[in-house]
Amino acid sequence: MSGLDLFVLAMFALGIAGAFFTAFHPNILYASISLIATLGAVAGLYAGLGADFLAATQLIIYVGGILIVILFAVMMSENIYKKRFAAEAKKYILPSIVSIGLLALLFKLLFSADWGELSEISQSQDGVTLQMGQALSRPYALPFQYVAIVLLFGLIGAVVIARPHIGKKRK
Amino acid sequence: MSLDFLLHPTSYLGGVSGNLSAYLCFSAILFVFGLIAALSRRSTIGIFMGIELILNAAALNFVVFQVMKKDLAAQNWLHGHMFSLFIIILAAIEAAVALAIILRAFGSKGTINSDRISELKG
Repeated sequence: MSGLDLFVLAMFALGIAGAFFTAFHPNILYASISLIATLGAVAGLYAGLGADFLAATQLIIYVGGILIVILFAVMMSENIYKKRFAAEAKKYILPSIVSIGLLALLFKLLFSADWGELSEISQSQDGVTLQMGQALSRPYALPFQYVAIVLLFGLIGAVVIARPHIGKKRK
Repeated sequence: MSLDFLLHPTSYLGGVSGNLSAYLCFSAILFVFGLIAALSRRSTIGIFMGIELILNAAALNFVVFQVMKKDLAAQNWLHGHMFSLFIIILAAIEAAVALAIILRAFGSKGTINSDRISELKG
């Protein structure tokens, strides 16, 4: 077992544990911290797959963004340290059953599919940042500009939604 | 084929970093936990975190398939990486808009519990 295998296994374990607590922890604050662990584990998997640029992007955008989510969760949750999982536990029953059924279906598909040549890794473990930059400047230039416009208008929309309405009647 | 690493884990652990099915199982589990969070949490922040988990699972799958597909790797095409990058960007936009909506709902309702923000319910 190589060091890379150990690393990937550790990331799997960290990611699954974090996802479990994200779904099931009664306290939204700890759930957000578990989400950071999961996103960090996915960034580690990107790094293990040789996608170094994506690993850095994941860390910067997601993990930074989730810190803001934690801030929101702390600001807006009432009685954040009160235990109330018992009252809400029954809301988990039906979604859990449905989701575990879906998981069983996905695993069955994975078992039965013939992946053929895809079954073994075929990469060099070199980074791909240079290739990604070249791809973004030529074949993906138009989608890149397009997503920039979407980002601009999304952020304008967020500002418009979030600010207090001007001209509304005040009491 | 390759899911027998679940049945004989010790003999397959050595190759886990190159095993397609290990990654697919991981992202399937991530997706399902995200689905549970999105369906059963009552806090809108919790629903949002579930959606983030689902998007992450999908983005990871794109990179895994890109890396495992030999002719894509040989041509230096990076379609999978690009898909994941665009998913991350769109998730950032989604986070901004979702947090703005949550902030607005908190401002007008005083709560972010999705059971009590029900004006649009038919």
